[in-house]
Amino acid sequence: MTKATCEDTFIVKKRDLKNDYFSLVLAPFSQTPNIKPGQFVHLRLPATDVYFRRAFSVAAISPKKKEIEIIFKVFGRGTRILGGLDRGDHIDLMGPLGKSFTFPEKTDRVIMVAGGVGFPPLMFLTEELVHHGYNPKSIDFFYGGRSATDLVERARIKKLGVNLHLTTNNGTLGDKGLITNAVEGFMKKHSQSKLRLYGCGPERMLKAVDDLSGKYHIHGQLALEALMPCGIGICLGCVVELKEGGFDRVCVDGPVFDTGVVKFAP
Amino acid sequence: MTASGCAGYGEELAELYPLSKLGALVTKSITRQPRWGHKPPRTVETPGGMLNAIGLANVGIDDFLKSKIPFLEKQITKVIVNVAGSTIEEYVYVCERLADCERVDMVELNISCPNVDEGGIEFGSSPAMTEKSVSEVRKVFKKPLIAKLAPNVTSISEIAKAAERGGADALSLINSVIGTSININTWKPHLTNVTGGLTGPAIKPIALAMVRDVYRKCKLPIIGIGGITDYKDVVEFMLFGATAIQVGTQLFVDPTAPLKIIDGLKKYLKSKNLKSVNELVGKAHNN
Repeated sequence: MTKATCEDTFIVKKRDLKNDYFSLVLAPFSQTPNIKPGQFVHLRLPATDVYFRRAFSVAAISPKKKEIEIIFKVFGRGTRILGGLDRGDHIDLMGPLGKSFTFPEKTDRVIMVAGGVGFPPLMFLTEELVHHGYNPKSIDFFYGGRSATDLVERARIKKLGVNLHLTTNNGTLGDKGLITNAVEGFMKKHSQSKLRLYGCGPERMLKAVDDLSGKYHIHGQLALEALMPCGIGICLGCVVELKEGGFDRVCVDGPVFDTGVVKFAP
Repeated sequence: MTASGCAGYGEELAELYPLSKLGALVTKSITRQPRWGHKPPRTVETPGGMLNAIGLANVGIDDFLKSKIPFLEKQITKVIVNVAGSTIEEYVYVCERLADCERVDMVELNISCPNVDEGGIEFGSSPAMTEKSVSEVRKVFKKPLIAKLAPNVTSISEIAKAAERGGADALSLINSVIGTSININTWKPHLTNVTGGLTGPAIKPIALAMVRDVYRKCKLPIIGIGGITDYKDVVEFMLFGATAIQVGTQLFVDPTAPLKIIDGLKKYLKSKNLKSVNELVGKAHNN
């Protein structure tokens, strides 16, 4: 595994994606070329009232420019401060951390299940797959949210050439209803293909995806989110319960877990 | 040194820098049996710190000796094993096993963990129990023995004196301060365990006052702990009487904090024309 480092980076690009969504590009980070989809970076915010670092999955990298991009929604104090930063502001960045997704077989039909702001690591994975010669038409990217305003960067994902399926809970864009209903419909329709599943999103969605993976015997991986004080495995604060008993640390044993492993809340 | 529970068994930090840079590594608390710890959420950020209720998650003494000691044998640093228990027999048993292990330089007795129902803090909140648990361990463990004290007591100096009578060689203080917090929308506490231990910069003034108190009433050397983030904090602890310090929660924010602190201290000493940090110890008491 690549060794994590702590480096002083600065914001080289900031995009307001509207409705509290932001994209920040941070550079220069020496480890950029080694970052794999699913891994995260731990950011120390330049503010005194936020003590811990904040973990963000990587949305994209530009190895030559040593840039990494994160995309987030303002949710609490940390993200509010982060969203208020501007181009040129410094951020202490630690990474790359955690385990990455494993690539599917080239012949697999790939299903991405992205719930709201959980989409960045899956977009990164998709981009890497396409870059490594996977046929984008064999990738079905399901992207769901509460309403149309939650589905940011749609054009960018579409541009990768994948089959993009949009769902919203209120029907303002794409199919109305839960993303997992659309995914299950797809699974039923393609039960003859060898499917491979990747998911990232809210916990309830991950649980539903995990259940689908079991029901249709589809191997998959899920990227989890957790509050992580340290991010490097020493504080034991970010653990998740496992089905077989005991706990794993999301930061170092994950954040990417195989389906069927994590015990989600019922 | 690293504070117990904030550096695991050293493996993760060793990925970032040689542990020889540290004065000592203090391990996570070791108990007789392995413990999974509490169900999540186990931590919550609070103003200037955090609450944690990990629940003494650890591999247990058997696995510690089998799978963690071989790693520590390759590290050039002092190894201080923190020991927790729910009975005096458990402390004695674990320390007896550690006494036979050459790689273990010292033991720090966690007689003050606020996060387990049974034991821990029960020992550390009564002078009589403190004295008894320290003296029983003393019989089987001849290497340096440190007693780690809780702030959640009426008089920490009484506990300190009891540990001294029991035969401790040094004291470390303070452990975390009991606290809790609640989500005002769900009306549920943030931690599954409801209460947890408050650590981080928020508790530094409490720790300083306790170090000051213990220094005045007890002869044992003091290892200061509580919200240390940089060399300035260390200087404060030393002025009030600490001869060494442990870095805890700050390791989560910046795992390289100990190196920065050592560097900062060297510069501070130079600027004050001092040769050693020992020249700082207890200076606040001369005023």
